[in-house]
Amino acid sequence: MVEAGAWWTLLAAPGLLVVLAALAVAGNAVLDARDAGRLVGVAGAVRPFLGVPRALVAQPRRLPAQDRLLWRTGVVTVPVAAVLSTLVVPFGGRVVADPSVGVVWFNAMEVLTWAGLWLAGWGPDAAFSLIGGYRFLAQGLAYELPLMFALISAATGAESLRVGDIAAAQDGLWYAVWMPLAFAAYLAGVLAFSFLGPFAYPAGRDLAGGVLGEVSGADRLLLQAGRWLWLASGAAMAVPLFLGGGAGPGLPSWAWSLVKTLLVLGLLVWVARRLPVVRADRYVEFAWVVLIPLTIVQALVPALVNLHR
Amino acid sequence: MDLTGLTLRVAAARPHVLLAAVPGGTAVRLAAERLLRARDWPRASTPAQADLLLVAGPDLPELRTPLERLWRDMPAPRARVHARTADEVEDALNAGRALLGPPAVRHASAAPPADAGGHREGDHGARERHEGDDQTPGHDGHGDHRGHGGHGGHSGGQTEMPGGLPMAGQGADRDGLTLDQLHLPLGPLLADWPAGLTVRLVLQGDVVQRVDVDEPARPIDDAAAEAFWVQPWLRAASGEPVPVGEAVRRRAAAHLDSLGRLLAVAGWPAEAVRAWRLRDDLLSGAPRAAVAPRLERFTRRVGRSRTLAWLTRGIGVVTAQKAREAGVGGPAARAGGDVTSRYRQWLADIRRDLPRLEDPAPLDVAVEDSPRGPWSAEHPPSAALIALLPRLLEGTELAAARLVVASLDPDPDELVSRGVVEVARG
Amino acid sequence: MGTTDTVLLVALGVLAPVFGVLVFTLNSMARVTFSLLASLVCVGGVTAVLGLPYLGVVIVLMMVMEMVIMAVFMIAYMMNPAGLMPMSMLHNKRGALAVSGAVFAALVAGIFLVPWPDRTASRPRDTTFQVGSALMTEQMLTMVILGFVLLATMVGATVLATHRGRYDRFGDDLDQRPAEDPVGGGVGR
Repeated sequence: MVEAGAWWTLLAAPGLLVVLAALAVAGNAVLDARDAGRLVGVAGAVRPFLGVPRALVAQPRRLPAQDRLLWRTGVVTVPVAAVLSTLVVPFGGRVVADPSVGVVWFNAMEVLTWAGLWLAGWGPDAAFSLIGGYRFLAQGLAYELPLMFALISAATGAESLRVGDIAAAQDGLWYAVWMPLAFAAYLAGVLAFSFLGPFAYPAGRDLAGGVLGEVSGADRLLLQAGRWLWLASGAAMAVPLFLGGGAGPGLPSWAWSLVKTLLVLGLLVWVARRLPVVRADRYVEFAWVVLIPLTIVQALVPALVNLHR
Repeated sequence: MDLTGLTLRVAAARPHVLLAAVPGGTAVRLAAERLLRARDWPRASTPAQADLLLVAGPDLPELRTPLERLWRDMPAPRARVHARTADEVEDALNAGRALLGPPAVRHASAAPPADAGGHREGDHGARERHEGDDQTPGHDGHGDHRGHGGHGGHSGGQTEMPGGLPMAGQGADRDGLTLDQLHLPLGPLLADWPAGLTVRLVLQGDVVQRVDVDEPARPIDDAAAEAFWVQPWLRAASGEPVPVGEAVRRRAAAHLDSLGRLLAVAGWPAEAVRAWRLRDDLLSGAPRAAVAPRLERFTRRVGRSRTLAWLTRGIGVVTAQKAREAGVGGPAARAGGDVTSRYRQWLADIRRDLPRLEDPAPLDVAVEDSPRGPWSAEHPPSAALIALLPRLLEGTELAAARLVVASLDPDPDELVSRGVVEVARG
Repeated sequence: MGTTDTVLLVALGVLAPVFGVLVFTLNSMARVTFSLLASLVCVGGVTAVLGLPYLGVVIVLMMVMEMVIMAVFMIAYMMNPAGLMPMSMLHNKRGALAVSGAVFAALVAGIFLVPWPDRTASRPRDTTFQVGSALMTEQMLTMVILGFVLLATMVGATVLATHRGRYDRFGDDLDQRPAEDPVGGGVGR
């Protein structure tokens, strides 16, 4: 069982999330350095963080017909929703809050990115940025339902929407093992709501950065941070949902949570570099014709198992 | 020491560079890309993301306005430098970094953004016009999404118009939605785009309804521009003996350059970087044994990627017959198909060329194709490729349109330096 | 109900109508859409605070998705292009005022006139479970019918809206494969 509500977890959870996101950025930088033939080392891994002071001194962007309020709202929504989503993610035996509808909470926070990115694309009143915002919606219509069915599969397996119950229900056999499709659909969903790698469609190079194209300074930092925070949050959530939470032999449960989260995070960073951007015009049909039926069948499996238990 | 100064110094250690390549500046661009990669200075694709504007190539009066616009859109602290030749790149970058340090910023905020910013006269060639926003390069971009192209950026005319931007018109479209028409120019300084090419699109939603291609910008002094990729063919045509190995090496590097650009547009930056690294190794004269294994791995990964093939199939089909009718030779014609078949053709060509990198036989222009097709000074192969664009792009979606252009990858240098050829022949 | 819940309830209860009023006073379609969304999110919060966490969070989840999609359509089909020009959500002001006034009066009257029952049973421990079992037992038929009606509406609306039929896609003899579409899909049908 997880223990919820200690006051310090309210500070620890965002802190841990930022650290995990930073590790993902550093890991990605190392792989970048290797591909580019530069020296692989700690110096290269921390170089992306030079962008932080840079963002803080840079001028914000001003455009003739921007909607500053909506733009800012969108930019802020993405990282804030990522942080809020972690409130229900148990780490070891601790969690900030363990509501009876934890899974739905995580899902709802993730959906806030839809609004955030659309607004971030709309705000600057620039063509590529706007197209980027719309692209995320097209992508959302494709990835969201398989993701939801993946979450439902895990919840059905545990007969509970409480994240702590789901982790506890995988005693001995992880859901990732007997619900591999749901696990895969979930991981694809994580990359999609972080708009990274194959799902970087809204921020595509063909749009000169899309939703990221017009933001500068602190706005840019927030939006970029939002991506990696979401990746870290998604990786952390995969552990209680599909990998048995903090359970494991030998080590304390926080250590198991950390190890599993880092492995999932590493896997996501690696996969993100191995695939080109999947455009929504191709992915939507694939998602609706192939993925949704498959994930529905996947959700049926734990339902039948539970009926016959 | 003040905190801001320290922050600026730290930030200047890894400036984001907006590389504005102009026609005739391919050699400069390649040198800059190689250096940026070695130094881990990320490339920005829009002025908003950039600290340093690097103009690569000769002076082009026609591009002054778009460059000015890029510069205007860059947020302070910022600097701009101009490298006219490949040898100037390193000094220009160093000068740029120095300008980004603390004192420069004070300048920049004091000086009105529109004129040369705070960074004048560095050492080398610095200053230059700016900004060409990759995205909406030709114009005032940012207002474009509502309307008639960017001409109206700031004029304001009618008082009611928010931001002084003109209203969009409507028109019939493919899906019967009668959406607003958006006039969006791609180029001339867009990232991952043929330098100097301007394609004016009329978009409804993100469906391309109409396409007009501008004449590419030309340098004032034709001799300043150099068609880097066809240089061995130009020299051979003017009677100078050129070894086949050199031409073949140049051709393979050109294909890798195009592949890198296609992969970047397709959203696969990790493989794009690999392609560009191989390109630079080839150009620096690396022996075959040094590049062959990596090239093999790269070819396997990209050529056999089912995802990439799935994403590009059926887009921008040019059958062999259509290509012939349009006067297109070279890889695009030999591939005779969609984007997938064209990038696979490039990969096949590179592998075929690999054994001949050290071939000392003299180059016969009539036998060996230049990178984009049989070389002819009167009809450079890129002209035919550009002429194909309007028909291919109409009716596609924006993402597909970018893939089509990247998979043909016309080289505007071939057009602007035609004068060089004529001089050489005459 | 603890202090936190009461404070939240009051704050959300005030914010929801405030955003609702903004819907009719703002002059940009994007802002109008998102203030409506903000209002609905507050309603979701109120529902959750009142002891229905599942319904509350689902309201937030669904309303965000729905309003963002709706923003696309509202902006795409506005008479003034792309929603840039100042606009107003008010039309037929006098009639609308009369209708909304009457509805408001009727609802307020309802509060006082309806004989509200006292709670007889004890509070359920888990309202989420209660909602689920209600939907899956006595309301099962309702939900099944609703599901089919919604699906039929979606399919019907799509069929009516699209101007390309199967003969356009598959040719006169329905034998053309792959189908001739302006943009090919990802499955290659």
